Amino acid sequence: MLDTFEILTTSGVVLWSKTYSSVSPTIINNLITNVFIEERTLPGAGIADDVSAANNPPYKYDQHTVKWTTVKELGIIFVAVYRSLLHLSWIDKLVDNIKTLFVDLYGDQLKKPHTTVVECHFDEYFDQQVQELEKTALNQDTRTAESTAFLEEAPVSIAADPDEPPPLPGLLSRGQSKNNYRDLTSNDSTPVITPDTSRSSTPVNHLLSAKGGPKGSRRARKAANTPAYQSSGDESYAKRNRAAKASEKKKGRKWDADGLADEDSDTPLDYSAPANGATSGEEEAKERPSAVEEVEQSSWGSKTGKGQFVLKDLDDQVHSILASADVKKESSTAPSTGLVGSSISAIGGLFRNVVGGKTLTKEDLEKAMKGMEDHLLRKNVAREAAIRLCEGVERELIGVKTASFESVQARIQSAMESSLRKILTPTSSLDLLREIDAVTSPSALSLQKRRPYVISIVGVNGVGKSTNLSKICFFLLQNKYKVLVVACDTFRSGAVEQLAVHVRNLKELSAREGGKVELYQKGYGKDAANVAKDSVVFAAAEGFDVVLIDTAGRRHNDQRLMSSLEKFAKFANPDKILMVGEALVGTDSVAQARNFNTSFGAGRTLDGFIISKCDTVGDMVGTLVSMVHATNVPVLFVGVGQHYSDLRNLSVKWAVEKLLSSN
Amino acid sequence: MPATKGWVDVLLSPSPFALVIAVILALTIPIFLHSVVFRASGLTTLPSILLVGPSGSGKTSLLTLFERGTGAAQTHTSQSPVSVECHLPVGTQAQSDKYRSVNDPTNLVHKKFLLVDTPGHGKLRHHALNNLTNPQNLKGIIFLVDAAALSAGEEGLRQTADYLHDILLLLQKRMESKTAKGAKEIPVLIAANKMDLFTALPAALVKTSLEAEITKVRASRSKGLLDSGIGMEEDGEQDGWLGEVGSTDFKFAQIEEFDVLVEPKSR
Repeated sequence: MLDTFEILTTSGVVLWSKTYSSVSPTIINNLITNVFIEERTLPGAGIADDVSAANNPPYKYDQHTVKWTTVKELGIIFVAVYRSLLHLSWIDKLVDNIKTLFVDLYGDQLKKPHTTVVECHFDEYFDQQVQELEKTALNQDTRTAESTAFLEEAPVSIAADPDEPPPLPGLLSRGQSKNNYRDLTSNDSTPVITPDTSRSSTPVNHLLSAKGGPKGSRRARKAANTPAYQSSGDESYAKRNRAAKASEKKKGRKWDADGLADEDSDTPLDYSAPANGATSGEEEAKERPSAVEEVEQSSWGSKTGKGQFVLKDLDDQVHSILASADVKKESSTAPSTGLVGSSISAIGGLFRNVVGGKTLTKEDLEKAMKGMEDHLLRKNVAREAAIRLCEGVERELIGVKTASFESVQARIQSAMESSLRKILTPTSSLDLLREIDAVTSPSALSLQKRRPYVISIVGVNGVGKSTNLSKICFFLLQNKYKVLVVACDTFRSGAVEQLAVHVRNLKELSAREGGKVELYQKGYGKDAANVAKDSVVFAAAEGFDVVLIDTAGRRHNDQRLMSSLEKFAKFANPDKILMVGEALVGTDSVAQARNFNTSFGAGRTLDGFIISKCDTVGDMVGTLVSMVHATNVPVLFVGVGQHYSDLRNLSVKWAVEKLLSSN
Repeated sequence: MPATKGWVDVLLSPSPFALVIAVILALTIPIFLHSVVFRASGLTTLPSILLVGPSGSGKTSLLTLFERGTGAAQTHTSQSPVSVECHLPVGTQAQSDKYRSVNDPTNLVHKKFLLVDTPGHGKLRHHALNNLTNPQNLKGIIFLVDAAALSAGEEGLRQTADYLHDILLLLQKRMESKTAKGAKEIPVLIAANKMDLFTALPAALVKTSLEAEITKVRASRSKGLLDSGIGMEEDGEQDGWLGEVGSTDFKFAQIEEFDVLVEPKSR
């Protein structure tokens, strides 16, 4: 069963919620951070518009599964949480239906500025939906809804099917008088007709007319076929109707005793559905005058509806809202016809492109997005990351109005800039010195013992692991730390000697500064993990502040070499595992980052990237984006030169400007 | 020569075409100017108070509490800023109104202000910083901290101090640069939230631990590496030193000379 259902805004306020069993708020908080803010699962998810819950990947956290959907223009999120053990196939439908209902009922309240309060009495609607969908799910376990539901169920649940359009105008007038609900009359002329005709070809209506009984169908047919007579003899018709109502009522009450929610809505459908059947029987009569049909239905509905159950109103209202939303969607997807209309809109579009105030569609964006993608590829961003970025921007922009005097191009540019900034900005601050301080000299209040801070460096062959290690070492020495450099590259000949040279240089450089650096090495052929473990013990005993571990370069898709990293991470237990990636690498950067990120076993990932050789690529710093995109691990340092001092923190602004500069 | 004369004749003659153009210009220019000038200045905005703080400190909860008055709504992590209109109770007098008569009828209406909530997540702090760099009638900042997450050596304290340091540094820079037009002092209130929890620190301790941590932030920022974007455009972007230059310990009192008043309070 459902655990909780919440409707919340992007600003974090819960507008409405229904809780069946209490769940920790961290589940939804985690959903928001991981899916919407950090976009780990789906690019542009936080700003995507109106995707059905079925298309959004479910988020799993701590034995719970979360289904969600969003409405971009109103900034609201619909979230359903349930136990992962349960297989609830109807949740998607529930989330979607609730979205449609809520937006329809309270949409204009949500648009008000400077308030977070939404007056809503949504409980009844929600309960009705849950019961209805649960029942549908029970009656047909494996098959999907829609068509099969009709064949198997009693007339009771036929009425309950969300796709069946109920007699709209009648219940709406009732709704207005009683509950003061939102006025829907503006768009009911289309919903009444279109779904009817589309439905009429299915076997459903034949079945219905058969079940409805000869009395009902005959009357309905008469009503449908003789509109002129009807309007004149309104009173007699109403009388008959009332009589029919009385006879039907007995039946309805009997069903009521069963404790089912929606049986009483059977009455109106009993009339409307056979009418459909009649029209479907005569194919020519399909195009009946819509206005006449509407009038008779409304008069009929308001009369029978006097003093009826509230639940019935609700049910019908819910269905009408859902049906009208369906129709709206259909009509919006249908291509606009007419040569004149399209050409006028095209000219208007061109004009708006210059002046601004144009609502962006997929077609408008397509060409510009392609250009942006090419631009990113030229900046050495991996194709995968470029596509993801562009998709995210596209999702964000579809349906957005450009500001005045803003071209589509400029809008895309600014959206891409914010998107790049978002992806590159780290979630938490990356102050290495303070982290080292916290570990090496813990405050007296916290019950931690002093220990050395361990940093290990991994990467593919020849990206500059040792060079960057010595750069970091130089930076630490300037800050007067005692550093132990550990040579764990026990494989490549000359690797230990190379580090020894670096350490000798650094010793000379830092003699005046007061730092202290030593090399820890055990020669070649030893197991790197054991060497690392011993070195950490040694450093703790000798009172070193920081341990820098150099590892052997390894090809990221070589399973044999990568597997040793897991043992290494377990034995050395580094505080930070940094991966060095060179800015020169192109598409492969994504695979490199991903493979290294997953190679340390469960619960351990990379902590940061060092992007080396940034001075050799000029503006083409796309590797930064590719690697962060692949792993969500921030870039800690960038290497910008050949000297020990050429190590820099990443400035997001600098990177974004380089990536977007055109030349 | 005759050609130019012909042109001048055409231009100066009262042709209907020229008249039409002149009329159109005369009508549209004021409208155009009006839209440009008044859009730039904006409408008169209500005085606003900015809510900042790390994620999970209770900003949105406080916002809804102020708005509804009866109780805070249930909230989750924010992704976008939101502003609500709040009322001060009848009878409260703003400090700017202290010379008004007690019987002034304006005292009998609710005083309105905007309370602006910002997301505290690391990737979304630019919303808050944007609000600070070009404030619109900003009257004050409430920096909300989770008093239960501030014990020494905790990650929460580090993140909080980092964020507070950035905000204060921004305010200090703003006051230092004289170019900022109409730069008024913006008082900062540090509000310690969640005081009902067992591990919550009292206000005085919140103050000292934040001061101590900001001292560390300041020191490590000054020692850290340079940014990669250095010397890109704006001349050098020298990293600011928050507070009194050369002082070893940071105190909130030090930045008062920059008209940044900081006052920790708990509830």
